[in-house]
Amino acid sequence: MVGATELTPAIPLLPFAAFLVALLVGHFAPRLLPKGGAIPGILATAGSLLLSVWTFVAVSGGGYYAQDIYTWVVGQNTFSLHFGVLIDPLSALMLVIVSLVAVLVHVFSLGYMNDEGETGLPRYYAGLGLFTFSMLSFVVADNLLMAFMFFELVGLCSFLLIGFHFREPGPPSAAKKAFLVTRFGDYFFLIGVVGILATFGTARFVAVGEGVHSFPHLAEQALAAAGGEGTMPEHVAHFLDIVGMSPETWFAVLGLLVLGGVVGKSAQFPLHTWLPDAMEGPTPVSALIHAATMVAAGVYLVARMYGFYALLPTVLAIIAFVGGFTALFAATMGVVKDELKQVLAYSTISQYGYMMLGLGTGGYIAATFHLMTHAFFKALLFLGAGSVIIAMHHNEDMWDMGGLREKMPVTYYTFLSGSLALAGIVPFAGFWSKDEILYEALIYGAGDSPILLAAYAMGLLAVFFTGFYTFRMVFLTFHGEPRSDTARDPHGVRWNVKLPLVVLGILAATVGLVNMAPVAELTGLHIEFLHQWLVIPEASNFAALGYEHYHHLLEEFAGYHAADIGPLVPGAVSLALALGGAGLAWVLYNVDSPTEHTEKLGGVKTVLYNNYYQDEYQVWLAEGVTLPLARAADTFDQGIVDGVVNGVSSVSLFAGSRVKRIQDGLVTHYAALLTLSLVVLLVAFGLFGGWF
Amino acid sequence: MAVAVEYYLLLSAAVFCTGVFGVLTRENALMFLISVELMLNSANINLVAFSHFYGNLTGQVFALFVMALAAAEVAVGLGIVLVLYRNFGDIDVRDATTMRW
Repeated sequence: MVGATELTPAIPLLPFAAFLVALLVGHFAPRLLPKGGAIPGILATAGSLLLSVWTFVAVSGGGYYAQDIYTWVVGQNTFSLHFGVLIDPLSALMLVIVSLVAVLVHVFSLGYMNDEGETGLPRYYAGLGLFTFSMLSFVVADNLLMAFMFFELVGLCSFLLIGFHFREPGPPSAAKKAFLVTRFGDYFFLIGVVGILATFGTARFVAVGEGVHSFPHLAEQALAAAGGEGTMPEHVAHFLDIVGMSPETWFAVLGLLVLGGVVGKSAQFPLHTWLPDAMEGPTPVSALIHAATMVAAGVYLVARMYGFYALLPTVLAIIAFVGGFTALFAATMGVVKDELKQVLAYSTISQYGYMMLGLGTGGYIAATFHLMTHAFFKALLFLGAGSVIIAMHHNEDMWDMGGLREKMPVTYYTFLSGSLALAGIVPFAGFWSKDEILYEALIYGAGDSPILLAAYAMGLLAVFFTGFYTFRMVFLTFHGEPRSDTARDPHGVRWNVKLPLVVLGILAATVGLVNMAPVAELTGLHIEFLHQWLVIPEASNFAALGYEHYHHLLEEFAGYHAADIGPLVPGAVSLALALGGAGLAWVLYNVDSPTEHTEKLGGVKTVLYNNYYQDEYQVWLAEGVTLPLARAADTFDQGIVDGVVNGVSSVSLFAGSRVKRIQDGLVTHYAALLTLSLVVLLVAFGLFGGWF
Repeated sequence: MAVAVEYYLLLSAAVFCTGVFGVLTRENALMFLISVELMLNSANINLVAFSHFYGNLTGQVFALFVMALAAAEVAVGLGIVLVLYRNFGDIDVRDATTMRW
């Protein structure tokens, strides 16, 4: 009997096989490929989903698992580099989410790509397969270097898929932007990985087995030693001598460097600018990027190495503040957008801001919870938007829609379920998770940490904007009178679009029930299933990855302590704000022929519509600062460095052309020169040798 | 009866200067060859003279080597002179300056 753990490597490898099939068969024998590669992709991801669920069941029975698969650099007297698999509650949960969303996106693509007669389908499905493979490998990675490698591969796949329609002008440029902006963050991540390997001599997330260390644990020991308990690990002490910093400072630098990659991938301020442009990709790809793969990777990475971040109060405060700020900042921009997918793009940035806020304020469970619920409701919203886009013949402007409620009821009700979840209306998924994040932020913020409290305030304010833009989107799209001919007679959608919508719609409505913290508090029932799931028993080898351990670290090292505030009042406040936002949208936009109320904002609208001129200032940074600097460096290189080299050569050339004239070819002259030189030499010897 | 070594040296210097004078003043390639031979042989005189003076045979052996070298040099030199004549119709060394850089 083969156990689930032995088959874990097959979870990512199945989509990789689908990628190879789509690529090779699609190239050499495209006619043999059923549905342009969709069928192998669906089979492979469905296989991954089954294996993931099996793994999930095994983990719920305590079947945690860490195994080195392949050591590709064997170190002599230093560290080795390897690929390995780590299955713990967090990665098992994420495996199920990713493979479920991947299956549904593949099925949806049948309707969105195949039925619409797109060309280049093998390329599309090859991209999806590689994307799923990269993300699943990233999720199971047991060390930071492997995580980094698949993190990069995820970025590459997003580049390939966003630029799928490469013959049009927009997508290639958006793909390039996504690639470059995330690469900018990943550059810091790479330095961070090298720094962590150099400091700790290992990049493992968890130490299982004899003589194995993990970097969060070594960091914990080093910090404890700095505080006067225990001994500093030798390797770390040696490296700290080299950099000449205290462990707190140096670890914070390392944490911030890795955070650079997270900010880029999870589209946090100021590296969020790539994400709205990424809407140029096919809609199923957007669903995959936003819900389960690319963008989730950043937040997942922080959760993965939370044992390290929980030691660093400075970094946690920065994470929380950036998250809270991003949540508010992106939500305000979402308010004025006219295109369906643009609104969703800004909602994604905003929601990932919440997750960062949760992680930064010590709400590890809350952030993981929101990562899960968001994966379902955001995939649902994007697929719903894709369905609307099919119906509207690829017109995305919400002002051309309206009245689609009667025409496409399945899409409407599932989309509504996702919207209620996004806006955070009880009892849909988003309410429970977002509320828990805000609650954690509040209790730790009120526990004497003004920065966390400020982050909480921004997150709370964003709830109102979220409710408003979400329902503005719903009302403009589905309610009122149709505002164009296509909206009056929309294109129908088939089962392959409706099935994923229904599955996700049910999940978006119900998945929040797995961790109803306020209800548990109120009734005293033990129904916080996710909480129990993420706690690892003390006796296990994997206890260092459990919530109890993180909580201990937060109190011990980061100095977090919770204020005694009940969950009901904050929950009621955020629900009231969400309802307020939704209600305002109801009043303004739930009419037969709505008008553009955002025009009344005047100058503010222009600023918001132009995304606070973030793109402009980043372009200015590139063209106004970096380019002149590069030009100056180029001038220095061409003028000074090359000038010296070229000068030496031209002086030699000139001198040679003059001196060669004494070689006139007359042997007599050569002989005369020789003789004369000899005479001169003799005379010189005579003079200096004292012969005379 | 032994001749003092100074006389050999004087003879050698005289022959050498004749050779140098020939190289510096003549235009005929054959005269060059002859002058070079004179210079080589002035060196030979020195070698033999010192060999005799110190009672050591090494110098005389070296003189034999120099003669072999001179023979080889003449063989090459005459070949060059022959080619000069074929190409320029003369053996004036100034004609060959057209072959410089």
